[in-house]
Amino acid sequence: MKITILSGKGGTGKTTVSNNLAVLVKESFLIDCDVEEPNSHIFMAPEITEEEEIRTGYPVVDEDKCIHCRKCADFCHYNAIIAGAAATMPLKDLCHDCGGCQLVCPAGAISYEKKGIGTIFSGTSRFGSRFLYGQLYTGELSGVKIINRLNEKMSHSDLVLVDSPPGTSCSTVAALEGSDYAVIVTEPTPFGVSDMKMVVEMLKEMNIPFSVVVNKAGLGDNEVYEYCSEENLTITGEIPFERIVAEAYASGKLAVEISEEHKSLYRNLWLNIQKEAERSHES
Amino acid sequence: MNIAFCSTGCDLNSSVDERFGRTTNFLIYKTETGETTCIENRARTAKGGAGALAVQQLVDNNVSVIIAPEVGPQAMDALKKFNITAYNQQGASTVKEALDLWKEEKLSLIEEPGNKGLHKA
Repeated sequence: MKITILSGKGGTGKTTVSNNLAVLVKESFLIDCDVEEPNSHIFMAPEITEEEEIRTGYPVVDEDKCIHCRKCADFCHYNAIIAGAAATMPLKDLCHDCGGCQLVCPAGAISYEKKGIGTIFSGTSRFGSRFLYGQLYTGELSGVKIINRLNEKMSHSDLVLVDSPPGTSCSTVAALEGSDYAVIVTEPTPFGVSDMKMVVEMLKEMNIPFSVVVNKAGLGDNEVYEYCSEENLTITGEIPFERIVAEAYASGKLAVEISEEHKSLYRNLWLNIQKEAERSHES
Repeated sequence: MNIAFCSTGCDLNSSVDERFGRTTNFLIYKTETGETTCIENRARTAKGGAGALAVQQLVDNNVSVIIAPEVGPQAMDALKKFNITAYNQQGASTVKEALDLWKEEKLSLIEEPGNKGLHKA
């Protein structure tokens, strides 16, 4: 079972929700797929036992063989090759490693070389559970390859909680791949609602059942509740905005570590999510 | 020789555009005849790699000199590779002014890429 925790925008509380649940749900396995900005490891403080560098290919042009037909540049959708009568120049940072330029080159002048784009870290969290996260190198464009590799590292028999990248980017779609259920974390503000709508559309398009968790409840307005009721979306939980939680978070501690009340809040949330996930798969 | 300007319009009285990769047009001036050609910049709406696509259009139009506000690191490398010299348009408000300053050799060369666009932090 793979449950992905996502949000319309950053800062709504994906990490809060996924990490607190990961601590409570003993048999779970947390994966931080927000490879551009991973931060679950700050709370999980894992002992890393394995590191894997993820690499991507980029084209190299053999100028002696190149006949300057410009087919490669015409083909490349990402403008990663500039071609003129005098030279053909690949720009490796723009390349998406599709291999198309190599295929269309009639002169066999293009070969692919590899470069690292990020690292995957695996280990055990300070709570004793399995934990994995990816980190995209600064300046790299796309974390999709790293997320795909993270997906390969989980098996369907695991109970996996995924901390997804925010929004509806390629990276988010990659993190959702193979999810049985999704949880949208939102906040009760106009921005929270507006950005959440796109996520709702994406999940419907991908046919992944989901429910909503309202974080920072008590702030903002009622728009999120009105929207959920209009759209018939289930709210599986509300997490109140509390200074004590924010202070703990800022020092790398989770809400479930503060008190029994906070623990039971997340325990209830988990029960609701489980119930909804089962219900959605029965219907 | 063809000189390209980053231009908001399609004639010499147009204002210079404050962007390179996402400039509205490239106005190309042929030094031999004084003719101009206006190229609508395809890179303007590119999702990524605007600088690269901008250079590709300069290459396609046999441009030897580009007058621009600044040039990103990827485009800078590409301009060098294709022997296109870049000059800074600063001080000029219209393409005509920039052209006159270039003729008087008063424009400075862009030798270092600007801090915008795709670059390794």
